[in-house]
Amino acid sequence: MHFFSQSFQYDHPWSHVVIGMWRKYPNPKCTHVVSVDVVDRSVDPQTGIIRTERILGCKQKAPRWIVKLFGGSEDAFVREICFVDPATQNTTITSVNLSLSQFASCYEVVRYTPSSHNRTAFTQTAEIQARMALWRSAADGLEKWLCQRFEQNAQLGKTAFTDVLRALSEERLGRPAMAA
Amino acid sequence: MASSLSPECTPLKTSYDVCFNSWFEGYLEPAVSALQTADRAAYAKANAEEYELKCGKIWQEYKACVHKAIKDNGLEPVLQQAREEHPLATPPSSSEHRKA
Repeated sequence: MHFFSQSFQYDHPWSHVVIGMWRKYPNPKCTHVVSVDVVDRSVDPQTGIIRTERILGCKQKAPRWIVKLFGGSEDAFVREICFVDPATQNTTITSVNLSLSQFASCYEVVRYTPSSHNRTAFTQTAEIQARMALWRSAADGLEKWLCQRFEQNAQLGKTAFTDVLRALSEERLGRPAMAA
Repeated sequence: MASSLSPECTPLKTSYDVCFNSWFEGYLEPAVSALQTADRAAYAKANAEEYELKCGKIWQEYKACVHKAIKDNGLEPVLQQAREEHPLATPPSSSEHRKA
């Protein structure tokens, strides 16, 4: 089992961050994300919570031994469930891999909550684990590769989202967005 | 906007995304400041209805297209399994751990 976590502060109000969430892709810093689809969405008439289920399609080069052993391919799909609760100002996003799910699980939870009037706290945790009783070095190798990929994409995601929020902010203020 | 997993669904997806984003932005600020529980419930109900009215039709069209694309790409079994393992009908609590 590999764990990953990071936290960060975005210099934007919470509502700006959740609006920006839906505009994150396509993104030049996250070219591995090639498709995004909403497969289910509902607004709870009592609580006002918006639940969204999405499937994200990613293309990433996998090491040849992984492709051979696990029959993987460049295409990887992820299921993401997002809850936006405007009353409590909580956003929770849970993601899990659909591809290679019989071999390994990468379970991620992201939270956005206000830390002040103009700042939003972001926390991200992930548990990456090979699922089956594979022989140990293969399981370890797979976990390590998934973890490296995850960390790399997490860093890219953070800078990419910072850019999106800044551009959105400038757009709203009527100033031209700076070149990325 | 990002593309859909199936190119033929991308135009429907784009129209739906535009509709949802516009509704969402209008929804968020007042929802955040509706502090009274009674206000909040009434506001939530009115907005859920508004969402259905504005985006309901395009959502049905896009949803039908994307669900077919999911089937055609062979993703239905893994999606179904993922939904059974983690239904996530409500937000996970901070102490909840994923199933092994």
